Amino acid sequence: MEGRPPDDVALAQRARNGDERAFEELVRSHQRIAFRTAYLLTGSAADAEDAVQAGFVKAWAALPRFRAGSPFRPWLLRIVANEAHNRRRSEGRAEALRLRSGRGLPGDAAPSPEGAVVSFERREELLAAVGRLEERDREIVTCRYFLELSEDETATVLGIRRGTVKSRTARALARLREVVEE
Amino acid sequence: MTELERALVSLGHELEVPEAPDVVAAVRARLEPRRGRRTIRAPRSLAVAVALVLLAALLATLAIPDARSALLRALHLGGASIELVDELPEVPAEPDLELTLGQRVTLAEARRAAGFDVLRPEEQPDAVYLGDRGTVWLLYGTPERVRLLLAQTPFHSIDPELLLKKVAATGTQVEPVTVEGAEGAFLSGDPHFLVLLDAQGNPVEDSARLAGNVLLWSDGGIAYRLEGDFDRERALELAVSLR
Repeated sequence: MEGRPPDDVALAQRARNGDERAFEELVRSHQRIAFRTAYLLTGSAADAEDAVQAGFVKAWAALPRFRAGSPFRPWLLRIVANEAHNRRRSEGRAEALRLRSGRGLPGDAAPSPEGAVVSFERREELLAAVGRLEERDREIVTCRYFLELSEDETATVLGIRRGTVKSRTARALARLREVVEE
Repeated sequence: MTELERALVSLGHELEVPEAPDVVAAVRARLEPRRGRRTIRAPRSLAVAVALVLLAALLATLAIPDARSALLRALHLGGASIELVDELPEVPAEPDLELTLGQRVTLAEARRAAGFDVLRPEEQPDAVYLGDRGTVWLLYGTPERVRLLLAQTPFHSIDPELLLKKVAATGTQVEPVTVEGAEGAFLSGDPHFLVLLDAQGNPVEDSARLAGNVLLWSDGGIAYRLEGDFDRERALELAVSLR
């Protein structure tokens, strides 16, 4: 999911110069991924919406410090993730994420081409295992696999070094593997 | 990608995520018009030339004979060169200091993530942040009312393409100091702050701009920056008390 249309660079540059219309375009094209990010981090639709709105408003204020030509999406998502983080902390809770569909998912048993899709129960188990990870490992899994961000994007979004992304990913996968392969 | 990684991606597709609300209108209503730009416009070579002239002028005013070399070395943080200029670019006050500092973490988390020994004064910090370039920030007070701010940045994580630029007004005093044998500098007086410039001379990030004085030093591959409302003696006391 590279999701960085070439327009982003031009739009961000215009927005940086104070063009509100250009910024609105950026809001329009990134609000879905921003909401998904905030929701997956908070587990609450209301908190996520707040975080997205506040994140965009702060991004607008922070645009003069945005490095021209660099990718807009991870920079924005970092601000949104910070907002989400603060909200989750202030509420002192993180509601568990749920799988779509609950029971009786049609085609639940249909094998994927790679045979990678496990049964619903196994997936619930895997999700529960993700939920039991330490917060920072869970954030890595969320960014890398649920949001499908690259290592570089993840490093930007979480404000950590790329090497740390690699090591935390490896650690999180090792913990999950214990559950999946038991 | 391993099977587990593919399973996680596929799990991501199955997660129940509510429909994203359209926030365009709500965001638009909250935007404040932005006034003026502060990007440094001069071509880099010119900016550097100007900075060097100003640096020479500033250093000439320093009375201590070996101040120049000490200062240059002291401020040579992690391979990033530092320029002193006497004209402050206009920087809007950071509406949210926390945004500049990075992700809020616990001290234990910062220590685990940092990959170096994070030092702290005797007093427990009120907040800890992990920022860009592996910087660990310890904040005392609140983001709205900072008493003391300590930044620790490992050299190896400072992007060599970026110039760390010390911007100081002519009214800023720059005094070479040593912190337990490590060279440093104490900056006080008029407002001053650090900005990072990209290869084109555009600021990419400015540090928190506080009214306080700053003690800069480097030791063991880590650049330290202590900022607060203190005098030189108090700053040095705090610096050597770090454990």
